[in-house]
Amino acid sequence: MKRTDRLPGAKSKAPLITKIALALLFFAGAALLFMGQRGREDFSRSEYSTEDAYRTIYALSRHTDALWENVFKGDFASLGEEEKDLRALCASLASSLWDRQAEGGASRISDIFEKEDSEDVCKLLYPAYLVNPPKKINPSNRKLIVSVPEKEQREFRLRLLRCALDDTLPLPEEAAAAVGDSTGSDRQALLMLSYFISANKDAVGEDVQAFKQSVRAKGAQLTAFEEIARGKFNPFRQFVVTHASAVMLLGAMTMADVILLFAFMLSEKLWKFDVKWLLMLLVVDFLVFFQLLPLLVMLWRVFSVDGAFSFDNLKSIYTDKINLEALKNTLIAAFSTMVLGTLIAFPLAFLVGRTNLYGKKLFRTLFVLTYMVPPYVGAMAWLRLLNPNVGSVNVLLRGIFSLGDTPGPLNVYTLPGLVWVLTTFYYPYAFITISRAMEKMDPSLEEASRVSGASPFMTVLKVTLPMMTPSLAAGALLVFVAAASCYGIPSIVGIPGSVHTVTTRIVEYGQVRIDDATALSVFLLAVSLIFLLLSDLIPAKKKYITVSGKSVTPTVVDLRAWRVPLTAAVGLFGVLVALVPFATILTTSLKTDIGKSVFTAGNFTFDNWKAAFTDRETPMCLTNSLVYAAVAATVGMVFSCTMGYLNVRTQLKGRSIPAFLIALGSGTPSVVIALSLIMTMTGNFGVDIHDTATILIVAYMIKYMMMGMRTVVSAMSQIHVSLEESSRISGAGWFTTMRRVTVPLIFPSVAAGWFLIFIPSFYELSMTTMLKSAATKTVGFKLYEYWTVTSQQMSCTLAFGILLIVVLLNLLLSRLTKGRFSI
Amino acid sequence: MDSVKIVNLTKRFGENTVLSHFDESFHEGEFVTLLGPSGCGKTTMLRILAGFEKPTEGEVYIGGVLVTGPKTFVPPEKRRIGMVFQSYAVWPHMNVWQNVAYPLQIQKLSKDETNQKVARALEMTHLTQYACRTPDSLSGGQQQRVALARALVGSPSLLLLDEPLSNLDAKLRESMRYEIKEIQQALGMTVVYVTHDRTEAMAMSDRILLINGGVVQQSGTPREIYNRPVNPFVADFLGRVDFFRGEIRNGRVFFEEMGGQSIPCKEERTGPADVAVRPENVVLRDDGPIEGKIESLFYLGDVTDLRVRAGDALIRLTAPGSLIDEVKPGHPVRLDFKNCLYFDKGTASEEALGIKT
Repeated sequence: MKRTDRLPGAKSKAPLITKIALALLFFAGAALLFMGQRGREDFSRSEYSTEDAYRTIYALSRHTDALWENVFKGDFASLGEEEKDLRALCASLASSLWDRQAEGGASRISDIFEKEDSEDVCKLLYPAYLVNPPKKINPSNRKLIVSVPEKEQREFRLRLLRCALDDTLPLPEEAAAAVGDSTGSDRQALLMLSYFISANKDAVGEDVQAFKQSVRAKGAQLTAFEEIARGKFNPFRQFVVTHASAVMLLGAMTMADVILLFAFMLSEKLWKFDVKWLLMLLVVDFLVFFQLLPLLVMLWRVFSVDGAFSFDNLKSIYTDKINLEALKNTLIAAFSTMVLGTLIAFPLAFLVGRTNLYGKKLFRTLFVLTYMVPPYVGAMAWLRLLNPNVGSVNVLLRGIFSLGDTPGPLNVYTLPGLVWVLTTFYYPYAFITISRAMEKMDPSLEEASRVSGASPFMTVLKVTLPMMTPSLAAGALLVFVAAASCYGIPSIVGIPGSVHTVTTRIVEYGQVRIDDATALSVFLLAVSLIFLLLSDLIPAKKKYITVSGKSVTPTVVDLRAWRVPLTAAVGLFGVLVALVPFATILTTSLKTDIGKSVFTAGNFTFDNWKAAFTDRETPMCLTNSLVYAAVAATVGMVFSCTMGYLNVRTQLKGRSIPAFLIALGSGTPSVVIALSLIMTMTGNFGVDIHDTATILIVAYMIKYMMMGMRTVVSAMSQIHVSLEESSRISGAGWFTTMRRVTVPLIFPSVAAGWFLIFIPSFYELSMTTMLKSAATKTVGFKLYEYWTVTSQQMSCTLAFGILLIVVLLNLLLSRLTKGRFSI
Repeated sequence: MDSVKIVNLTKRFGENTVLSHFDESFHEGEFVTLLGPSGCGKTTMLRILAGFEKPTEGEVYIGGVLVTGPKTFVPPEKRRIGMVFQSYAVWPHMNVWQNVAYPLQIQKLSKDETNQKVARALEMTHLTQYACRTPDSLSGGQQQRVALARALVGSPSLLLLDEPLSNLDAKLRESMRYEIKEIQQALGMTVVYVTHDRTEAMAMSDRILLINGGVVQQSGTPREIYNRPVNPFVADFLGRVDFFRGEIRNGRVFFEEMGGQSIPCKEERTGPADVAVRPENVVLRDDGPIEGKIESLFYLGDVTDLRVRAGDALIRLTAPGSLIDEVKPGHPVRLDFKNCLYFDKGTASEEALGIKT
């Protein structure tokens, strides 16, 4: 490590060198961009239909060059005076071949001869004969030619050439059968073909096959042969043409990075490269390419019609009846969920956090539990409970009020049904936000109210509640965004009853009506970001909550006579939102006839479990889910730790950029992330990962990396820097300090962050639905497939399996972090 | 040989100069205290010695070796010094023994030697019985000892202490003060001690560097700087002191605010001056040259604090505790000043003393 260069006084030329290096790097980027652009133009001008053609032409070209150097050149030279005639012969053979294949072929050949070195004519004829021989030589005759002993081959080849030039010479016996009794140019062609066969016994079949497949058009083939003859193919050019977009991408990224570096150094007024920037720029580049670029492309597609700015595309949102309906449903559902969720969450948070309710700890765990359950599982459970015909709750109600066999009285397949299911799953967002604020509130603020003569109830009303408003609002907005961008629940509850939402429309349009999908996505994105921004701004503006450094024990409100009834009420709610749905999932998975109770004789079965776990696809889906989630979590944590370290421990310029991008990613609705990736990751920007595991992993990372980073950052900021400094002064270097002090201290948080990315990635549904392929199905999608195609029992089986895995992971996390973390 | 030598050192953070032209050397076995108000640059100086900060200009030698210079920088881990942090910085994931053994493990000492040295360090800091405890089960004072043991265990020739006692309660602080001093005398290492507490500095130091605004105001033994402060800031920072505007002529000093009353003075200079008087140097004497009235009395047990009004001036003085029974506010008294300190006129302004009003 160079440590001296920050010391001013020692004036060096470093600034100048840095500036020059930056400029060079910038121009290198520009050059790459330019070359990529040229490559792209070359390709579009060429007659080849695919970029693969370049690869195969290049392979053939290398092969021809090698043969020319090793064989043809020597053979031709040995002919002495006759060499000239042979070249003329090759030329005439080539032009007759050309004429047969394309208009004006002969003139193209003469062009080559006038312009280029004539030695190329042999290189021209060879691939042409190899790919498209003018005459056929059958396999037995070919065998004869190849059978010439090694030692005599050269002599044999020279005789073939001489025979081709002089039709009076006797044919070598091995070639006699191949030539047969043909004469004139046919004889010459067959002799040249025999010559090529003899010269190149090694099979080049694969190259030729690939070439034929990728360059079908005759005209394009001729162009390719010409290019081979001219030796225009070098590996670099081949790469630039076949990877034009990637080269352009590299160039553009380099330029952008250099501009960023320049800005950093300019604002630091220190022209010195910091290695940490390299780390940061790697993360930034990843996020810019996989997250920001797709979103910008999506915006561009929505707001441009024929290259001009326009709102026309947004019209589809409100002119299409279904879209308008979906929009209305989304807003109503999200708003109602927000109101209902907050109304439930505040009293719960207060009762659990600040009163002497019985079993507070248990309730807290129960309410937070829903946080780690995939939302679609809840939706499935509520469907089983509130189905108008067979839903258990409906059956029960009909029994109690003897309503007969009419459907109802409750129907989940409606907007209120959707709101109810959304509420049971998203009120924890508000619950957690509000509880946290309540725990942090300085109790002396309330004590002051009591001392001033207010009753506990008055204190809640006049002090606690007003002080909670920022957190209340923030929690409410979170619920709104989560509900609006949820796909799992509306896809299961809404679609059967034709209650469409923006997310279900986006997924449905997916690749078919992509313009409609993008317009809706942009709308959803805008709503989400605006609301998230608001929830960030409100608490910042009204800094009510005073957080004191010492741990505070908030005063506990005595419920007195209300203690038992309120505990019962909270308990009932807990049973309703947490236990009943999960029990339903379990019982449904054990039923033969879904319409009857699991306790009905003969209705209990393990067949669904057997079927689900003997399904050929289940192991694959399970492996996929585990692997993708593990990779996303691991790479995500590497990024998170890097950024966490840079953010907390350094004053590095620009360190907030990746943090901002990561926050933006987590605020983007899943379906929007997926759609934007579909639109950009099919090769037109240099990276083609559609239908691969990579695109899923990238999507998971974008959506969930925030969770990891947040844990690492908070852990890092809790470690006082002197803990690291005291290790340095004890004689340990940076690395040892990391290994023995920093890492052990933050390990629990890193593990927690890993699981926080892993668990939602593991059961993810919305993005997976849009991005998966047959080979990359995950458990989440498999479950959805069971639900919509196979049977609800199978689906519930898998759902319960997923729940078990998630619970196990949570226990593992709790064990790993010694109980400091669980979800 | 000098244990630490600092040559023309300047440290700027952006536009802000924290230390300016620092030139000092500490000899071996010396207990040096960097004393000053918060933000004076003393902690920065200590962190530069440790290698956690780099100076903008200047050089630092430790044990005669250049460790920080324009072209040299020895990282903290290579300086072989001990340091105790204000926040203790005891690693919560290691027990006491592991914390203390850490520097030795880094040095790859043999097991026997490690055990022996850790045992000695723990014994010296009275921690032997806590060796297997984790830091969160220790009191603040015990954690402080762990940090001290860890700093001492490698037998460094230089020990840096960054306000080590400021988080302890008053009683513990006093006993730790003597313990640290004892350990230093037993081991004979050089100690650089940073504090803003003058009593601490007075009690422990061989030499005090009083720093303000990034500049050493005065350097000397506690007695030197207490009795012969070079400027009003030093006088004010080291103890209670009252400043009066005066004029010296004909071997007497006349106090403007006291209606021109005067006392004899041996100062050679003449003309206007700022005169500093410490309360303990004001004595009640029936034939004292200054007369005034008692304004208020504060009983503190061993002593009584008095405020005496003389003209416009309010003079503080410390009298025996029993005085409270003899006098009341309004009582006329006569005073004499001993050991007055004379400074140039205007140097004792509130601004110069760093008093924020």
